[in-house]
Amino acid sequence: MNNYQLGLIMNSCISVIGVVGVFIITSLAGMFSLGQAAFMTISAYFTFILAKTLGLPILLTAVMGIAASALCAYIIAVPTLKLRKDYFALITMGFGEMMSSIVIMLEKYTNGSIGYSRIPKVKPVFWIIIGLTAFVIFFAWSLKRSRFGRMCIALKTDETAAKSFGVDVYRLKIRIFVIGSCISALAGILYGLKNRVITPDGFSWNLSAEMQIFLFFGGTNSLTGAAIAGFMLKLIPETLRTVKLFGVSLQEFRTVIYCILILLVINFRPNGMLGEKEFSIRTLAGLFRRKEARNGK
Amino acid sequence: MWLQLSINGICLGAVYALIAVGFAIVFSVLKFSNFAHGGMISACAFMGYFFQASFKKAPPIWVTILFTAFCGVLFALFLDQIAYRSIRRNKSPNIYYFLASLTISIIITSILNVFFSKNPLAYPPLFETTTFSIGALKISKMDTMILIISAALLAALLLLINKTKIGLAIRAVAISPETSKLMGINSSMILIMIFSIAGFLSGVSGVLLGCKYGVYPDLGQTMMVKGFIASVIGGLGSLGGAIAAAFLLGLLEMFWTYVFGSLSTPVMTFVVMLLFLFIRPQGISGKFAKEKV
Repeated sequence: MNNYQLGLIMNSCISVIGVVGVFIITSLAGMFSLGQAAFMTISAYFTFILAKTLGLPILLTAVMGIAASALCAYIIAVPTLKLRKDYFALITMGFGEMMSSIVIMLEKYTNGSIGYSRIPKVKPVFWIIIGLTAFVIFFAWSLKRSRFGRMCIALKTDETAAKSFGVDVYRLKIRIFVIGSCISALAGILYGLKNRVITPDGFSWNLSAEMQIFLFFGGTNSLTGAAIAGFMLKLIPETLRTVKLFGVSLQEFRTVIYCILILLVINFRPNGMLGEKEFSIRTLAGLFRRKEARNGK
Repeated sequence: MWLQLSINGICLGAVYALIAVGFAIVFSVLKFSNFAHGGMISACAFMGYFFQASFKKAPPIWVTILFTAFCGVLFALFLDQIAYRSIRRNKSPNIYYFLASLTISIIITSILNVFFSKNPLAYPPLFETTTFSIGALKISKMDTMILIISAALLAALLLLINKTKIGLAIRAVAISPETSKLMGINSSMILIMIFSIAGFLSGVSGVLLGCKYGVYPDLGQTMMVKGFIASVIGGLGSLGGAIAAAFLLGLLEMFWTYVFGSLSTPVMTFVVMLLFLFIRPQGISGKFAKEKV
């Protein structure tokens, strides 16, 4: 594979990590966050600026960057999650807008809207990204199956019922939001490592929205669906770069196509492409067995 | 100087109020945040622009506003058909409303971006001189026009909601769609009504914003955030609160920009909103939109 193809795969993997972060917040706990790109911004700028100015190893500053994102998530979550869900979506969106203007405001450190490009080179970046993607997916998968994840799903299905069964809804929501934001923060750092430049435009509101769209396309309740959608929807438009429509490259219509897909999903398949299905050895075996049984007849 | 700033702030507040109300009215009935409002404003600004550009001699501004408002109504109903209808039919959870309105907002903005992002457009200047002065005060004619139009619209809307039978029906549906259906109110008609009002408001504000700031695809998006903040501060779903908060926000923003510069303004508005949620989560209006079991 040449560098271009490797780059495409890396981009798609980063998108998968971002979508998994959103998956944890939206699918497990039913909160609609529109500010995940802001956490990517915080961690990416924090990591690379600290690494440059203080000369610390990037692994250490990455941890600090993720911690900073988590702290911001916590500060937002405390007043907001007491209120009804709508506030949460609006506040996270406002937070995203604020973050990009802070980046421009602190031009001295962040280099404003031109973008920050003094990012150290990390050697096997491809394998780091692949490995972390696998780790994040595994993490989300085990989170979903854990006691914690089941509590979250109870909370999502019916908040009042969950409360009456003794789930501390408020604290659970805060925790899940912080965890999801940490994963988004990781995606931000990897984005910086891969592209070697971070701009406030790259982490705009559209990115947050794009991740939600991927998630809902793949299936709100299916981690498999979300991950596949995150990977494929990022990859396919890039490969169709040369196709033209109305004299404009299809790449530019990317967002429009995403949106049309989502409208179709909303209208005809409200649970997303995969619905509730998850990939596992057992379902594969089940499919196989059913086929065999049919053939046996 | 302070008087001048206050006047500018009130004019800015009028713009925000128009957006916040269009957003709050959908929230008050359907209980979801209509992100599509921003996209609609952008789309209406472009419609108004092309309507005006299609004539050799530009028609008076009120014709454009009326035409665009009418288009906005049709557009809103069309969006309701393609996006929200099946959600209502399936009784899907609220999160799908979020998703649908978000999608619409993005689709409009990105279609406009594909075709018109290269060159920003502007309405032809409306007045020969841009300002008039009372004593030492300089007042922009544009702002005065916006203030008058938006005050008139807001007054009409509040009258409609609070004094007429239709308004009573709207308020009833806002409290409980099921019960009001039992009381003989045609709920789906009221929903259509709500979307038409929101479309009308987005049409008017699209043209006015286009006149004030120029026509570009992200116009609605940037302004909508202010509308959101105003309606959160005012208390989600309360029209009066949203209007009051919008004027407050306009004034605050003017003063802040004068003292500290415009770069930090978004940060200030966000922090104000967060503080407000800490101290008074029910918003200015005090009507706390609580989720019921």
